[in-house]
Amino acid sequence: MRRRILASAALLAGSALLLSACAPSGSSGGEQASGDDVTLKVWSWRTEDVEAYNTIFDVFEEENPGITVEFEAFQNTEYNQILTTGLAGSDGPDVPMVRAYGQLQPNIEAGQLEPIDGDVDGLDAIAPSVIAGAKGKADGKTYAVPLATQTLQMFYNKQIFKDQGLDVPTTWAEFIDVQEKLLAAGITPMALGAKDDWILPIFADIVGSARYGGSEFEQKVLSGETDFNDPDYVASLGIITELQKYLTPDVVGVSYTDSQIQFTSGQAAQFPGGSFEIATFRNQAPDLEFGSYQVPVPDGAVLDAPVSPAYADGNFAINAKSKNKEAALELLNWLATPEFGQLVADELNQFSAIPGVEYEDAVMKEAWANAEAGQAPYLLLVDFRYGEPLGTAVLGAEVQKMFLGQVDAAGAAAALQTGISQWFTPGE
Amino acid sequence: MSATTMTSVPRRRGNTGIALTRRAGMVFVLPALILFGVFIAYPLLTALSYSFFGWTGIVRGDFVGLENYLTLFTKLPYSEDIPNAFVHNVLLFVGAMLFQNTVGLGLATLLHRVRRFKRFFQTMYTLPYLVSPLVIGYLWSLMLSPLFGPVNAVLRTIGLGDVAQPWLGNPQTAIWVVVFVTAWQWIGFPVLLYGAALGGIPEEIEEAASLDGASAWQRFRSITLPMLVPAIGTVSVLTFIGAMEAFPIPYALGGSQGNPAGATDVLSLLFYRTAFESGSSNAIGTSSAIATLLFLFIFGISMLITWLMRRAERKLF
Repeated sequence: MRRRILASAALLAGSALLLSACAPSGSSGGEQASGDDVTLKVWSWRTEDVEAYNTIFDVFEEENPGITVEFEAFQNTEYNQILTTGLAGSDGPDVPMVRAYGQLQPNIEAGQLEPIDGDVDGLDAIAPSVIAGAKGKADGKTYAVPLATQTLQMFYNKQIFKDQGLDVPTTWAEFIDVQEKLLAAGITPMALGAKDDWILPIFADIVGSARYGGSEFEQKVLSGETDFNDPDYVASLGIITELQKYLTPDVVGVSYTDSQIQFTSGQAAQFPGGSFEIATFRNQAPDLEFGSYQVPVPDGAVLDAPVSPAYADGNFAINAKSKNKEAALELLNWLATPEFGQLVADELNQFSAIPGVEYEDAVMKEAWANAEAGQAPYLLLVDFRYGEPLGTAVLGAEVQKMFLGQVDAAGAAAALQTGISQWFTPGE
Repeated sequence: MSATTMTSVPRRRGNTGIALTRRAGMVFVLPALILFGVFIAYPLLTALSYSFFGWTGIVRGDFVGLENYLTLFTKLPYSEDIPNAFVHNVLLFVGAMLFQNTVGLGLATLLHRVRRFKRFFQTMYTLPYLVSPLVIGYLWSLMLSPLFGPVNAVLRTIGLGDVAQPWLGNPQTAIWVVVFVTAWQWIGFPVLLYGAALGGIPEEIEEAASLDGASAWQRFRSITLPMLVPAIGTVSVLTFIGAMEAFPIPYALGGSQGNPAGATDVLSLLFYRTAFESGSSNAIGTSSAIATLLFLFIFGISMLITWLMRRAERKLF
């Protein structure tokens, strides 16, 4: 019995050890940069994209004779530990795919990545809130080339809108009118999986970013000019309560996957979500005709035009211990070109972080055009995931409490401010 | 076992009946000792040592003494999450104990009397225990979905629409769903253990008692129950450990944040969040402190339960 106690507790306690214990098996590492032929090891967590990446890197290899790219993908959930071990040892990747924003900081703080400011062309063309995902919080240096961008917007079922004689709303009054008509027709206006807390700050920003002022507000909060108790931010959270009647009753019991089914099966007419949903919707319901729009500006909003909140998703960096830094830099320079951006769009079906890319998919094209017309940072992910508790986690739980009637908008905003104050000091 | 072997002097023929030199004894113990050391003692001690340092990412910083432990009780979100999660762990334990020692014991007693289909029912009750708790959790979350779940649909069809609930969305019901599903999955375990213990009670004792005129309840109260104390002790300790380190079912039902609004949060989820999802660069230090506290608590209370049960046994016999 005691052994069981020990064993079980050791499992828990030992998890911490896993951070340093799961070293990947060493294959051909340590090629010297002697001669011209160099093999670059690239690591990623996108196991589903291995073929696409091989196609993409074939293009690079053709243009850069002498450099071979060896792409290796690991289980997403284990990638952080595998990468941490790989970067600490001598057998790691030359060019690892790394996380963005807060989750990138441990690697930077441990000195595992090479700063690339001034060495990579094309970084200036990338949107500031996107490149922020590749920077060190403490030193402000750039450590990676952003790979993809996600945009947040409202998706809608075109067939339902047509059947109900509805148009994409362009004013707040029209937006409310659409919801009312759908409700009257017995269709759930919006599908939201409020049981899963992470979707809720996304929802809050989709409907409220323009209300609190997008990047304007971001600057003020970061400098300390205001905080989340700001009346504009509180009012933006108030929109959530205002819209609750257009969600499924008992929305806090609905899981994220349930909400996807609600939308793809036509039970709900709209879905507030990220661009990463597009591929999922296409897979789940190939016949579904859907589009996207930016939620119109509500009354009293700080911004006068609607915005798509956006954030960077994934970066490519250079291992500080790599023996092939020159070739790695060449690869990173290529990853910052529109040519690679286009391949990201065509092969990976993602929004590239590089401007000037064309999207073939109609929904992607529309969402991207909207985002280019008006963009804001997905505030809590971009700026408030650098300490514990994560801003997204605090607001997620608070919005659940709002739906349950346990807290009002002001209370939720106050809790968010208290939470991030644990580690965030304005002006630093 | 190892203690007896190690202290036995070469020629001693004590209760083991085997004569071994100390060196030979060591050789036999060594493989187990190495495995124990590498896979249990070493990780435990490392986690313990990690908890006394500050960390930046995976780089160990200065020795900070008990600061990580202080953080757990003084700083948000830990100072709020820990009591909240702890209460839920205790609820899990209490709920499982109640369920197992009433329904579980009742089923075992009934099965003990039944001759036909005994194996069949035993297998049926034990089946959920054999399925991965993650799978069990997901199946229940599907059944309880307010949109597509059969539970609410059935309630509405039989006219109990008022009882239909967003079971996992309402903080008042969500934790009880976790308690119920955990107890439901584990029920086969006490049924088996109590079944075996009941089978071990000599029939003559009960026969003698009934000849002396003891009623069925008196026989259960004065003979069966006392004879079951060792089994109850084992079930209690294992249930306690299971409840304190509960992870897969709460994770499947409420996600890593213990949704909704922390209503299904437990200590292992808190550890998981801190260690693997946190944006804090001192994640290793804080999570090691949580792991260490959790271990000490489980270990201490398990010892206490075992001691109490032993004492109760000694009083009985």
